[in-house]
Amino acid sequence: MSAENAVIAAAAPRRSFGRFALKLRVSGVVAFLVILGAIFAVLSPQFLNAQNLSAIVSNAAILSIVAAAQAVVLITRNLDVSVGSIMGFAAYLTADFAAQHQGIGPILILMPMIIGGMLGALNGLLVAYGKVSPLIATLGTMSIYRGLTYLYARGQEVTSNMLPRWMLETVDLRVGGFPVLVILAVVVVAILGAFLRFFPVGRRIYAVGSNPVASAYFGLRTERIVLLAYVICGVLCGLAGFLYAARVGTVTVILASGWELTSLAAAVVGGVSVTGGSGLVAGAALGAVVLATIDNGLVLLRVPEFWRMFIQGSAIVGAATADVIIGAQIRKSLQSRRRGTI
Amino acid sequence: MKIRSALLSAAAVALTLGLGAASTAQAEDSGFKIMMTPKWTGFPYFEAAARGGEAAAEELGDEFVYAGADHADVTLQVETLQNFLTQRPDAILLAAIDLNAVAPVLKEAMEQGIVVTTFDADAAADARDMFVNQMSYKQAAKTMLDCALIDAPEGGEVAFVAASPTSPNHSAHIKFMKEYIETDPTYQVFTVVDTQYANDDDAKSYDVAINLMQAHPNLKVIISSSAVSAPAGARAIAAAGRAGEVYSTGFALPDAIKSYLEDGSQKCFALWNPYELGYLATYVTHLKLAGKLELTPGTTFEAGKAGSYTVGEGGEIVYGKPMMFTKDTVDDAGF
Amino acid sequence: MTVFRRIPQWELLLIVLTLCAAAWSSNLSPYYLSVDQILLSTRQFVYPGILALGLAVVVVLGEIDISLASILAFGAVLFSKCSEVGMAIWLATPLVILACAALGAFNGVLVTRLRLPSLAVTLGTMGAYRGLAFIVGSEYGYTSFDSSYTFIGSTKLFGALPVSFLVFLALAAGVIFLMHKTVFGRRCYAVGNNKEAAWIAGIDVANLKTQAFALGGGLAGIASLVWIGQYGSARGDNADGSILLVVTAVVLGGIDINGGRGSMVGVVLALFLLGTIRNGMGLANMAGPTQTVVLGTLLIIGVLRPLIARGIARLRQQLASSGHAGN
Repeated sequence: MSAENAVIAAAAPRRSFGRFALKLRVSGVVAFLVILGAIFAVLSPQFLNAQNLSAIVSNAAILSIVAAAQAVVLITRNLDVSVGSIMGFAAYLTADFAAQHQGIGPILILMPMIIGGMLGALNGLLVAYGKVSPLIATLGTMSIYRGLTYLYARGQEVTSNMLPRWMLETVDLRVGGFPVLVILAVVVVAILGAFLRFFPVGRRIYAVGSNPVASAYFGLRTERIVLLAYVICGVLCGLAGFLYAARVGTVTVILASGWELTSLAAAVVGGVSVTGGSGLVAGAALGAVVLATIDNGLVLLRVPEFWRMFIQGSAIVGAATADVIIGAQIRKSLQSRRRGTI
Repeated sequence: MKIRSALLSAAAVALTLGLGAASTAQAEDSGFKIMMTPKWTGFPYFEAAARGGEAAAEELGDEFVYAGADHADVTLQVETLQNFLTQRPDAILLAAIDLNAVAPVLKEAMEQGIVVTTFDADAAADARDMFVNQMSYKQAAKTMLDCALIDAPEGGEVAFVAASPTSPNHSAHIKFMKEYIETDPTYQVFTVVDTQYANDDDAKSYDVAINLMQAHPNLKVIISSSAVSAPAGARAIAAAGRAGEVYSTGFALPDAIKSYLEDGSQKCFALWNPYELGYLATYVTHLKLAGKLELTPGTTFEAGKAGSYTVGEGGEIVYGKPMMFTKDTVDDAGF
Repeated sequence: MTVFRRIPQWELLLIVLTLCAAAWSSNLSPYYLSVDQILLSTRQFVYPGILALGLAVVVVLGEIDISLASILAFGAVLFSKCSEVGMAIWLATPLVILACAALGAFNGVLVTRLRLPSLAVTLGTMGAYRGLAFIVGSEYGYTSFDSSYTFIGSTKLFGALPVSFLVFLALAAGVIFLMHKTVFGRRCYAVGNNKEAAWIAGIDVANLKTQAFALGGGLAGIASLVWIGQYGSARGDNADGSILLVVTAVVLGGIDINGGRGSMVGVVLALFLLGTIRNGMGLANMAGPTQTVVLGTLLIIGVLRPLIARGIARLRQQLASSGHAGN
C-alpha cells in the first residue's frame, strides 16, 4: 500500500521533476552499458578497439530505429508486435519494385515509409478506434502482414544482383569515419526524441500513456494520439526494413521475423516502461546497443551459444529490475524533496 | 530389412487397390499419389525442389501434392504429415526439420504401407524407406573446402557459421571439414578458429560475420552450409571494406551470390541442383511404389532425366552432383 | 452493464463458429468428416491447449506469461534426464511438474515482489529458460525414453482416441472447476477486476499471482510429458514459436487481456475452433501463408468482438427506444 501511496504522492510533482527522472532512467541503461563494456574490455583485448566499437554500433543501428519506434508505441501504453512483419512487407514490396524499375533513384526510400505508415495506421485504427487490445490486434496483423508478404512473393526472393547498385553502396558508405547507417540512426532517434519532447503533440504522447483517463478529461483526443504513435512506428519500421534489405542484400519473405521480441527487449533494456508514460526513445536505441554489445562480446569471448540465450534473457530481466529500482529511488527522492519544501 | 520393405510395398499396393477406388482402373505402375512437404514453403530452394518433383510426377503419370507451413516449425511439420496420412497417399516425401520429432508420425505412415522418402534432410533411419541425400556429408565438406581453396589458395584461418547446434547436416559438415583440415595435406593450409550460429537468419548471419572479423583479425574464410548465411557473409565482408582479404563461401543459391562473384569480391560458392534433387527424390519414390526398385545396397537404377544412381547403405541414395559457382559458371546454373 | 448481459454468449458463438468451420472443412476436403480423423487430429492441439489453460489463469489476473513454451522445453529435457537415470514415471512426473511450477513461480515472484511488468519479465525468462533447457540437455537433446514415459503422449485407445486428448479434457475440467467453482478462482477474477479493491478485501494479491504463475508452469510441465510421447524428442528448442497460438486461443476464448473477465469454457471452445479450422485447411493442403492470413484475420475478428457486441447492443437499444417512442 505504501508503494501505491508513493505513486499517488509522486504523481503531482512529477511534472516538474519529469526531466530529471527521465535523465536518470536513461543513465540506467548507460550505466549498464558501461559495466558491460568494462567486463568485456577486461576479458577480451579486442573489445575496446575503435573498429570493434564501430562494428557494434553498426550492428545495432537498424534495431535501434525499430526499438525507438516500438518505444513511441510503448509510451502510449500500447504495444506493437507486428514491427517485424511491417519491415518484411515494406522491404519486400519495395525491393521487388526496385528490381523491376532499376532506374529509380533515392526517392524510392519514400515507398517503404508510406507502406509502413499505412500498415501502422491499420494497427492504430484497430487499437485506438476498435478498442482492441494492442497485443492481440498486432498479433493478428503480424500474421496477416507476414502472410501477405509470402503470398506476394510466391516463393521468390529479391537478390543483391536485382537491387539497384546505389541502394547497396549507400548503406556501406562511411562519412567522416562513421558508418552512414549509424549516422542515420542517430539522426532519426534525435529527431524523434526532439519531437516527443519539444512539440506539444509529442508531449501528449507521454500524457496519454501516463494517464489515459485524465488525458481524456483534459480534452486530449487520445484516439488520435495513439493512432499517430502507431503511424510513426509504422513509418520508421518501413524505413528500417528498407535499410535492412539494403544492408543484407538478399530480401527474403522472412526478413526481420522475430524482431517484434528483439525490439521489445531493446526497449525494455533501455528503460522504456511497458506500462506506458515513461522512457526515452534514446534509451530504447541504447537498449539496442546493449543487445549488440552482448552479441559481440560473447563472440569475442567464444561463449557457447546456449549460454548466450541464457545471458541475454537474464540481462533483460536484470535491466527491467534495475529500471524499477531506479524508478523507486526517483519517487523516494521526489517524495523527500517534496516533504522538505513543505 | 529387405523382407520388411517388400512386405510394406506389398501392403502399399494392397491398400491402394483396396482404398483408392478411383485408381483401380489405372495401371499398377502409375497414378500413385505422392505428397511432398519441405522444411518450409516459400524458400526458393524448396520451391525449385517441388517443381522438380512435380515434373517427375507428371512424366510418370502420378498425382503430386506439395504443401507445408510457412516457417520451419517441427510441430507444424508433424501436423502437415498427419494431414497427409489422413489423405491416404501412396508415398510421402519430406525434408525433415528435426530428425527425431517426425519419426513417430512417419512410423505410423510406414505401418499403413505408405512409402516414406526423405530428401535434403534425413529423418531417423528406422522411420523412412529411403533418403535421397544431395551429397554425402564428406563430399559436401570437401566441396566447401575446395571452394575455400579457390578463395584463399595460401590458406589461413577459417571460421564456420551453422544454422544452430541442433541442425544435423551443418554439424556433420563441420565435423568432416575439421577432419579434412587435420588429416588431408591439401587442406592443411587452413586452421579452424571458431564456429558460430546464425539460425538461417540473414541479419544475424551478417552480424555474426562482422563479429567474427573482429574476433579474429587474421580471418581468411567464413564457411557456411546455410544458404542464407553464405550470401549475408559476402555482403558483410564487402560492407566492412574487407573484400579481397576475407572471403565467404559455402552453399548458396546462384542468384543470391551472383553480384559478389561478378564484382570480384568473392570467388567461389557451391550448391547442387535442387530442382533435380526434387526430381530424383520423386522418381525413386515412384520406382519403389511400382516395385521396380530393390533397396539392396549396390543396386543400380536409372532415374529418367536425372541419370543413373546406386543405392547405398541403409536406403541412402546420394545425388552427389556438387556445382561450384565461380564468376564464369554462375550464369550456367540453370535453376 | 445490463446491456452486456443481454448480448449472446460468446461461448455460444464459438460453438456456432466451430460448426461452421467443420462444415467448411468437410466441404474443403473429403477426408475431414470422419470420427477417427477428427479424434486423431486433436493430438495436434493438446500441448498448446494445456499451455493455454495455464496462460488463461494468469491472464485473468491481468498478467501474461510468454515463457510457457520455454518451460515446456525445460520440462521435456528434465523428463528425459529422469528417464535416462531410470527413474520411475510416477516419481518423475511430480518432480518435473514441481520443477516447472517453480520456474513459473519464479516469474511470479519477479512480477509481484519486484513489481516488474510481467511482459518484460517473461520476455527475459523466455530466453533464459530455453537457454537453461539447452544447458541441461545439450544441443543433441534426447530421443529415447522408457515406454512408460511416452504412454500418455503416444497411446491411442480403440485405434483412434488419443490418451493425451483425455488428459487435456481432464485438465480442462479441472481448470474450469478451479476458476469458476472455488474460492481461488473467484479471488483471481476479483483481483483481475480491481486489484486495489481485492487488496482491501483482504486478498493477498502477490501470493495469489505467484500461485497462478506456478499453476501455469506446472501445466507446462504436464504438457512436456505429452510432448515427449508425441514427438519422441526432447531438446531445448521444443515448442519454439508456439506461444503465439497459445495466446491466440486464450484471447479468442474471450478472456480479457486486461484481466478479470472471460470464462475457461470459452478457451476450450476456442481451441476446438482453431483446431477445426487448422485441420480443415491442412487437409485441403492449403498453402501455409494462406493459413497464416486466415488465422490472423480470425484473431482480429475475435478481438473486435466487444465492438461488434456494442454495435449489436446499440442497435437493440435504438430498436427498443424507437419501439418505446412508438408507444
